Amino acid sequence: MAENPTLPDPRPGLIRPTRVRRDSRRGVLTFEAQRRAARRQAIYEAVSGASGAALAFFMWGHMLLVGSILTGSRGFDWVASGLEHIYVAQPTVVIISVLFFVHAALASRKIPSQLRERRRMRDLARSLARPLDAPPGAASRATPHLESSLWIWQVRTGMVVLVFGAAHLLLIGIDLFTPMFGERVGIEAASSSERVAEGLVIPYAILLLAVEFHASVGLYRLAVKWGVGSRLSRRTLLAIERVILFGFLGFGAITLVVLAGWVDPPLAFLTEGL
Amino acid sequence: MSTKPSQEEGRTLRFEIFRYDPTRPEVEPHLDAFELVEQPYMTLYLALNRIREEHDPSLQFDFACRSAVCGSCGMMINGRPGLACSTLTANLPDVIRLHPLPAFELVGDLSVDTGKWFREMAERTESWIHERAPFDPEAIEERMDDDLAQAIYEGERCIECGCCVAGCGVANVNPRFVGPAGLNRIARFALDPRDARSDTDWFEVLASDDGVFGCLGLMACDDVCPKDLPLREQYAYLRRRTMGAARAPLLQVEGVANAQG
Ligand code: SF4
Ligand code: SF4
Ligand code: FES
Repeated sequence: MAENPTLPDPRPGLIRPTRVRRDSRRGVLTFEAQRRAARRQAIYEAVSGASGAALAFFMWGHMLLVGSILTGSRGFDWVASGLEHIYVAQPTVVIISVLFFVHAALASRKIPSQLRERRRMRDLARSLARPLDAPPGAASRATPHLESSLWIWQVRTGMVVLVFGAAHLLLIGIDLFTPMFGERVGIEAASSSERVAEGLVIPYAILLLAVEFHASVGLYRLAVKWGVGSRLSRRTLLAIERVILFGFLGFGAITLVVLAGWVDPPLAFLTEGL
Repeated sequence: MSTKPSQEEGRTLRFEIFRYDPTRPEVEPHLDAFELVEQPYMTLYLALNRIREEHDPSLQFDFACRSAVCGSCGMMINGRPGLACSTLTANLPDVIRLHPLPAFELVGDLSVDTGKWFREMAERTESWIHERAPFDPEAIEERMDDDLAQAIYEGERCIECGCCVAGCGVANVNPRFVGPAGLNRIARFALDPRDARSDTDWFEVLASDDGVFGCLGLMACDDVCPKDLPLREQYAYLRRRTMGAARAPLLQVEGVANAQG
């Protein structure tokens, strides 16, 4: 049961009674301290949302750039070396890495720290899910409350992205700034394909799934939270989320198999003349 | 309700009802089963009363208005929060499992103390119009835009049943969270031009992790509210307002606090 966190002094006429809040962790909090804390939360919230949105949009651009492999290695190399030549690629890797870890640190604040609390949320999601006319018990496991379970999966995919994405960023950083992979400093189709074909295809497939899910659900949640497209019903917003999710998953999957060399680049004819 | 209620008599319904009396802690919480023959247009309100009359006079549950207005009869109906008085058994399966709303203090069996929770919430959000100017009984009342009055009324329609709080994952694990109903309340006063509070005045209730930023946007509240309050819009509105308040220089924020403190 909620303990009353404030000691209210509801004297009429006083706009704001002075209040003190007792906090189990931080002791007695004065009004100013609460206010400063709230302000910090507001900033965290804005930064975590904005960094998430920025990363999601970046992933769309990223997808298109990597998708240049569909035109063959010539197209891919042209895009990669072009972006390196004008010094867009290098700062991007640094900026995205920073955003990546900032977002991970800020967004993970919302995960309940206690296992007991996480269980409670999961069980609640399951119990809410059942349509009114379904019998109690068994059926609930199959269809948990959609958005609560989307959130739970967002936490899970977020963790996958944190591990695999960090490894990928490291790899790309090395490729971009050192001559370790390929014949020159920078990203090349040949060495990228080789990495993927030699076994990275599995982790990349996992990363692709996790990233696309995490990003599309994250954008949906941001829209709901901040009221973007508030004229649209949640059903419509979810449908848009689905289209984005499966669209990018499909495109990503094709890119990945081409990169692995399992399928010939379907758009190679475009770069024949280069 | 989506399915059309069948009004034939005859189904035998099995009620599995949570039983626990905090004044008798020696009796472990358990489910009691009762059987009733379904009547035409039977609501859970009718069913529970019949169970109390015919089977067990000690069964505790709350009702007052019987017409989805007072908000007393919220309970978990097969795992989902809802109003017992407006739930027809015809829409439910043969087995109906009833639990008290979680996140509230248990009075006994299906009865919880939502009143205490809502009173605390009202004190914390200071759910009254804050007026700075002295009251002038002679003055003509200010006019209000129709759309705005309507928007305020939407928030005011809350019957304090607690279903949204019970359905909210965050409110279930963080008792300090003001909850969906609390956020709705804040939005209602934030909208009201007669309330002289600026956003910075109650920023610490509004913007903390126990306020609008505690909400994860799971939208369970929006799904279960029996009065269909526009809860999703209320939060989005509050979030956008906090950004304006957060930008106000801290000095000024503190200045307000000190001036009043
Ligand atoms: S949307 Fe927010 S307030 Fe509503 S149930 Fe979800 S977490 Fe709770
Ligand atoms: S917002 Fe809806 S569900 Fe929540 S207390 Fe009010 S009427 Fe009940
Ligand atoms: S008895 Fe009043 S809302 Fe159900």
